[in-house]
Amino acid sequence: MEFLELLSPAFFLLAAAGAIIGIVFGAIPGMTATMAVAVCLPLTYTLGLQEGLALLLGLYVGGISGGLVPAILLNIPGTPSSITTTFDGYPMAQRGEAERALKICIVASLVGGIFSALVLFFFAPVLADFAIKFSYVEKFLMIFFALTVIASLSKNIVMGVFSGLLGVLLSLIGSYDVSDGGNGEYRLMLPFMEPYLAFGFSLLPVLIGLFGISTIIEEAEKGAKESSQEDKVNLTKGKPFRFSVFKGQVGNLLRSSSIGTFIGMLPGIGGSAASILAYTQQKNLSKQPHKMGTGEPEGLVASESANNGLTGGALIPLLSLGIPGDSTTAVLIGAFTLQGLQVGPLFIGENIDTWYSMITALMFANVVMFVVMFYAIRYIAKVVLIPKFILYPIIVMMCTVGAYAINYGIMFDVWTLFIFGVAGWIFTKIGIEVAPLVIGFILGGSAEVYFVKSLESYGEYTVLFTKSPIAMVLWGLIVLSIVVSFMIHKKSKQHSGESK
Amino acid sequence: MFDWFISLNSVTIDFDTSHQFFPRIIMTLLLVLGSLILLANIRPVWRAIRSGRYQFFVRNADFFRLLVTLVLIPVYFWSMDAIGEVLPNMGLGFLLASIPFVFLMSMLYCHERTRRNITIITANAVIAPTVVWGVLYHLFLVSMP
Amino acid sequence: MKKLFQSSSLVLMAACALAPVAAYAADNPIRGNIRVVIGSTSTGGDTYQAAAIITEALAKKIDTNIKVDAVGFSAGYQALERVPSGNTLMIFHDQAYLGYLYGQKGYEDPFAKWNIGPSFAINPGNGYLVSKNSPYKNMDEILNAAGNGKTVRVAIQPGGVSEIGYTAMKNAVRLAYPGQEDNLVALNTGSQSDKNQALFDGLADVINGSVQANEQYTRLPADDQKAMDFVWLTAKASTIGQANPNGMGETSRDQLMQYASGLGVNIPMDADSDFTFDKEFFFLYNKRMSPEAIKFLDNALAEVFADGEVQETLKKSFFIPNFRTSAEAQQHLKAKSDSYAKIINSLHK
Repeated sequence: MEFLELLSPAFFLLAAAGAIIGIVFGAIPGMTATMAVAVCLPLTYTLGLQEGLALLLGLYVGGISGGLVPAILLNIPGTPSSITTTFDGYPMAQRGEAERALKICIVASLVGGIFSALVLFFFAPVLADFAIKFSYVEKFLMIFFALTVIASLSKNIVMGVFSGLLGVLLSLIGSYDVSDGGNGEYRLMLPFMEPYLAFGFSLLPVLIGLFGISTIIEEAEKGAKESSQEDKVNLTKGKPFRFSVFKGQVGNLLRSSSIGTFIGMLPGIGGSAASILAYTQQKNLSKQPHKMGTGEPEGLVASESANNGLTGGALIPLLSLGIPGDSTTAVLIGAFTLQGLQVGPLFIGENIDTWYSMITALMFANVVMFVVMFYAIRYIAKVVLIPKFILYPIIVMMCTVGAYAINYGIMFDVWTLFIFGVAGWIFTKIGIEVAPLVIGFILGGSAEVYFVKSLESYGEYTVLFTKSPIAMVLWGLIVLSIVVSFMIHKKSKQHSGESK
Repeated sequence: MFDWFISLNSVTIDFDTSHQFFPRIIMTLLLVLGSLILLANIRPVWRAIRSGRYQFFVRNADFFRLLVTLVLIPVYFWSMDAIGEVLPNMGLGFLLASIPFVFLMSMLYCHERTRRNITIITANAVIAPTVVWGVLYHLFLVSMP
Repeated sequence: MKKLFQSSSLVLMAACALAPVAAYAADNPIRGNIRVVIGSTSTGGDTYQAAAIITEALAKKIDTNIKVDAVGFSAGYQALERVPSGNTLMIFHDQAYLGYLYGQKGYEDPFAKWNIGPSFAINPGNGYLVSKNSPYKNMDEILNAAGNGKTVRVAIQPGGVSEIGYTAMKNAVRLAYPGQEDNLVALNTGSQSDKNQALFDGLADVINGSVQANEQYTRLPADDQKAMDFVWLTAKASTIGQANPNGMGETSRDQLMQYASGLGVNIPMDADSDFTFDKEFFFLYNKRMSPEAIKFLDNALAEVFADGEVQETLKKSFFIPNFRTSAEAQQHLKAKSDSYAKIINSLHK
């Protein structure tokens, strides 16, 4: 246990500081875990290897977790992967159960984080070998599977699918990116848009535009009235948090954590798919699927345990293949190279002490995240008590900072915020559903690459079905998911019929 | 016959035009679904619009606040870019545009412009952007216009 | 000119009033903080790393704040175009002209559009790999196989640095076996992960990769599906020869030299010269940037290199330090671009 000597008090202090700073970054709408890691990367240059990694891993865990706060309180996903947290979190907050929702999410986050750290520790090399069995075809099917959530999520199935496809189309605007293997040609836009949209709309500004700015426009239309006195005190009116809420959720916790870890492990799928997929699964298996999306704890559990499960998962290919599993780990790779450390299939064996200390930092950061958030929540939840005339300008300002900074200073990303703010406001009025649209937008780009590349490299359609046993299993899941979501729709129609 | 089936299965994607392949599929699906939706709903929707049951704006919409919001935000974005151009790489575009923006938007949304509220608004408009600028731009070196 | 002076003095006044923390070297014609945009959107990649190292040294030398922003080439060019004062600079590599030569969208002729600034480092790691159980053991076997009618698939990212070595291979087949060059087929993929995956899936016979990203794969046992071998490093042997003797990971410099252009591997460019490709990092300036500013940065960087510290930092991260002033870099890169243009065009029909 030589690595114990490497663990100084500074090591733990930095991991804790990282977790706390990460939470703040994650909690500010528009700031993400990736950004937190990116801005602190230069700091690690002066720190030692172990300390630097402790700080960055803390930021990673904190940043992913912090995203749940605005998702619940303001209906704005703090990071793209907390999008599914808004579905049940915000309705709960509106019922006065903000504190309960936050605490459920924090516990779920802790479970997901610890679970994935353990998986990383015990199974990283084995799982990495499994991950490389996923070629273009299997990756496309995974994304297709995640897209099936659109069917179950939408209020009206035809409109929902239409909105989802519209989201996919929006994500394709710009060039067919060469860095994804495309040919770099532009499509779906007019020549005057080329300088701005060469790489399409960025995800984060689109997301906070659709959720954040459009809400503010809607409120302005309604006159931005402050809620009345009795509404205001409703912070404590709702059900209090009890650990018993997790009764019957153990399966959900484990499944969603595994899904998160697994998606994190597959390079190129993108972190947000994790919570989307976990949410789909929970909805498919739930006893009361029609209630999900109206403020059910099980939705929160699925979403948050999956997106923290991502952290350990995304580190698996990084540390055992040298390939980042998501955008944050892509930045982390920079920390290794800055320290002159090479990541690849031999990393763990050659740097066993660093490996142990990374796992330690990851576990510790999760615990710090839990303790800090669990006890700070009471104060954080008070955000909803701030009057609108103070809160809204600040939200717009913070969204602006985040949009501008997400790609290191591009003004068009700020305009994207406004474009999608207005679009989101109009969408809801003409029946286009925003949640399916966003999911289409998130997954559209990778769906294209893996679909086109599958056909391009194998030259036949049937490969999509027959490529491997994994592909067939995935098809089974896809069909099941679609069938179940149709049944859910039928059932909920009956329900509403009965209540009439 | 069997060969014909086999040939149905094969697909060649020309790399030079592959950027159109997927968008075309999506657009076709959108067109099909779109016309389906239109066909199924055009009459009831049209009736609803004619009879006034469907309205684009919410009932008793606050057009003043809505319109000013829709103007204020673009002006804010434009001005921070413009200021950032004159005073480059110091994050001043953000700071100098945010202070008036936060102030004006707060005033717009505030219903009871009491002396107390105005004091809070003014203090907030100065403090909040300055703190953000100080912490994020100077401490964390986050990019700002 | 007068107007420029006025506006810059206005900037100076404002800067002094509002940012008293920043102090300036007395003769610095660039007033205020400097933003360096890079042609890559990744903060984990080699462009960011090279830019971070050089700007840190430069910032210390001229006593100014310099921030590196990974905005990508498209947004980078826009930012550069807007600011002629020298407050926005760009750092990019050979992709700047290769993207143009390959006709990629969004690229223009950098020699016409920008001022080429100093070059400062080379990443010697660009190369090609095969699977360890591949029938091909070296470049000769690959080229001969293609020449004799066998299809060889090469996974690359089209339109730039990753493709230029493939173009050279194709050109080599054309020279030795005229008309057979189309047996070498490009498999267009994106990230390194996609290229590796193409090799694991058996979709590609040869992949583009790098010493930094793939060295550990070459040390895996042959029965591992992931095991790979280098067949070619495109950098000049004399360039790799300047690296630290320990090379990268467990592969020493001398071992790497076996795959280097002109030493272990000879890919002909034409009848009398060999093809080599050093991936060089250099500055790009706005066309209207003043000669004083250009000269000032030239001198400052020359001093940075004269101090000798930055070379060590670069070498530690497997870069080869290589300083050229703007004028020298302009001439050198133009010549390099012209020579590659020849082979790219010779393959166009």
